[in-house]
Amino acid sequence: MPDVTVPRDPADALAAVAALRRLADQLEDAAVEQAMRAGWGWPQVAEALGVTRQAVHKKHIKRLIAAGVELRRR
Amino acid sequence: MAEFDRYLKTMLTRAETEARADGSATVEAQHLLLAVAADPDSPPGRVLAEAGLDHAAIRAALHREFEASLETVGISLPALDAGPASPDPDRTPRPGASIQLALERGVKAGAGGDLRPAHLVLGILQAEVGTVPRALALAGADRGALIARVRETLR
Repeated sequence: MPDVTVPRDPADALAAVAALRRLADQLEDAAVEQAMRAGWGWPQVAEALGVTRQAVHKKHIKRLIAAGVELRRR
Repeated sequence: MAEFDRYLKTMLTRAETEARADGSATVEAQHLLLAVAADPDSPPGRVLAEAGLDHAAIRAALHREFEASLETVGISLPALDAGPASPDPDRTPRPGASIQLALERGVKAGAGGDLRPAHLVLGILQAEVGTVPRALALAGADRGALIARVRETLR
């Protein structure tokens, strides 16, 4: 395991994990939207995120359609 | 009891709205706390407001907690802020672990009598770790004193 600097207080360290998960979720939503608006396709977005195409599609499609993002067929 | 059920239902619906506004996939204890604070005419809402914890103050404290927790691992929030993403209008946030604990503790606090709005906020305030106590501490609130004050409204 690589060296990770863990905050000295366990409460801070655990809260940082919770905050990072939340930040990662927010960032994923924003980044996927940004990419799709820029004309990326689902396979590219999925590969760049390191997840399956089905997973990223299922998670974001409704949101992007509702936001009026023009989506590529594949 | 029917009255408490109505209050609880209103609070849970409002908490869900708070979770949605927060872009959260789950409804957590902090969203329930915001819901309680948004109703300053209820006894627990009044206790929060008297302690300077109105809806806006709690929301600000929660944001500070988020920023502060990221800072402990060297991440500064504005640097990564890619702008808000479009929300999913159909997504219904599910109850998260912290709200379940808050509800369990609230029911326990009211055991042996009728459940009242104050018991709900006691359930939230009794958490010793997690986002809510950290945010309250950052807001300069004394959690123990708040609990005592809420208990007084039950007498």
